[in-house]
This record gives sequence, C-alpha cells and structure tokens, in this order.
Amino acid sequence: VSGTATYLYAITRPMSVDQLSGVRGIGGEQVRALRDGELAVLVSTVSLDEFGEEPLRENLGDLSWLEATAGMHDLAVSTAAKRVTTAPLRMATICLDDDAALGRLRKLARAASTVLARLDNRDEWGVKAYAVATEPAQPVAASARSGTDYLQRRRRQTADRQDQAVAAAEEAAGVYDQLSSMAVAACRHRPQDPQLSGVEEPMLLNAAFLIDRDRVDTFTAAAQQLAAAATSLRFALTGPWPPYSFAIIDEP
Amino acid sequence: MTELVELSVEPRAASLVDLLDRLLAAGVVVAGDLTISLAGVDLVTVRLRALITTVRREMYD
Repeated sequence: VSGTATYLYAITRPMSVDQLSGVRGIGGEQVRALRDGELAVLVSTVSLDEFGEEPLRENLGDLSWLEATAGMHDLAVSTAAKRVTTAPLRMATICLDDDAALGRLRKLARAASTVLARLDNRDEWGVKAYAVATEPAQPVAASARSGTDYLQRRRRQTADRQDQAVAAAEEAAGVYDQLSSMAVAACRHRPQDPQLSGVEEPMLLNAAFLIDRDRVDTFTAAAQQLAAAATSLRFALTGPWPPYSFAIIDEP
Repeated sequence: MTELVELSVEPRAASLVDLLDRLLAAGVVVAGDLTISLAGVDLVTVRLRALITTVRREMYD
C-alpha cells in the first residue's frame, strides 16, 4: 500500500500561518494547523509506507526509528507549545487524511477545551531522584577478629543498608510532596529501568509537575535547594517540557 | 528536549527515556498498550512490552 496519511501532533488554540512558519514535523514536513472554531489540530503529511498499520508496527520495534520519530514529534510539539497553549496527542496518532483529522478534533473538542484552559501559561517540569551510592563499607573479613564478630558485622552492614534505602525512599517522597505543593498538578511516572536509562543508581522518584510560568523561578530554586540539602539522593531537573504528562487526550 | 537547569549530567539515553515516559504516557517499563488510530476506525494495539524487549536487545547486545 502506498499513499499518504495525516499525522496528528497536538490540539492547540488557533495558530496563524506566521506562527507556524518553520515548524517542521516528521520527515521535515511543514506542520499545518487545521482549524475548527476556537481549536486547531496540528498535523503534517506522512507516508503510509512508513506509518501504515503494518510498517508502523514494525517501526515501533526499531529503536533508531523510535528515537528519531520521538525527537521529531517532540520538536514540533515543543515549538508549538512556545507559541500557543498546546495539548499534545499521544505519539503516532494517525488519520487517513485531513478530513478525518478534523473529525477527530470535533469529537475531542469538549475535552480538549477543558484541558487547554488548564494548560494556559503553564509548562511541565521533570524531577528525577536517584539513591546515591553510600561509601563502600570497610571489608568485613579483613578486620573481623573471629567468626562471631564477622557475622555480627555482616548483619550490621545489611541492616545499615536497609535503613539507608528506607531513608532515601522517605526523602524522595518528601521532596515530591514539597514540590507538589508549588505545582498546579503533579504526577509520578514509574521509575526508569537502569538498563534503559543507562543510569546505574536506583531511581526513587520520576515526577512531573505542571508549573505556572511566572512561578518557574521559585520552583527551580526550591528544587535546587532540596537537591543541595539532600543527604541520600541525587537529583536531575528537566524542562520546560510541553505538558505531555498533563494533557494526554484519550478517545472519548 | 533542552534541559535548561541541570542538577546533574545524565547519559544521552536518559533523555530518550524521559521523552518516551511522556510520549508513551504509561511509563516505559510498564507493560501497557500503545493505541494507534488509523482512518479513525481501526485501532491497532501494540504491546509495549514487546517494544521494550526490543529496545533492551538493541541497546545491550
């Protein structure tokens, strides 16, 4: 099967042609805004050779394709989000043509309006916290005076490690609560798998926060203060993101 | 995605996983369904777990 389809990026407030100039999507295609009343859906044209049912199923299992496509999707959504309030759609939302995309927009209009009102002048920020590796304990065998002494020391070390893990998890939960109190909305994603992220320390917090743009300085300052004060955690702050974690509009 | 404020340096893979956490909406390590809509009628379901298995294989083999 060959031909084209319409790829949907986000539902936004209406954008002018000027506001869309230079916004490129999948495959470098120009992103267009299909308008219906006070809403628009951002789309571009993609090939069914790449995004048809079967090719898409295969491509989603290809890491380099996934990375490139996620990057292009994110670039289009991020650029739009800097210009108008933007509710991102899930990656790889595809309609047969522009008419079908507009039909989808009309179906989602009510939910989308509610979501957009919540997202005006706000961005998403990410905070991740990892348990820091504690100082390596003195080798037990080297200093043990006897077999009993060895076993006692081993038990004490195991207990210390468990205490540290509990303390770190509590510290992460406390950080989430404190930052949540400064946010319009907050959510916790699953901790990332070290095998996927390449970060070896266990992740204890993978949070997203929806923050008023005029309160971003306060929020990032608080995050940095918490990071400086943390004894058992290392932090990473990411953002601003388009409001991916707070605007996924599902089928009604 | 640009990181305006960075409290620590992360490997490049981490930012891809950050993005996929968000774009796939369910967290990357969760077994969930990514729904693909085509022609506004047909819904194709891809098992996210299969995707993650492939990601792991390609990254570490």
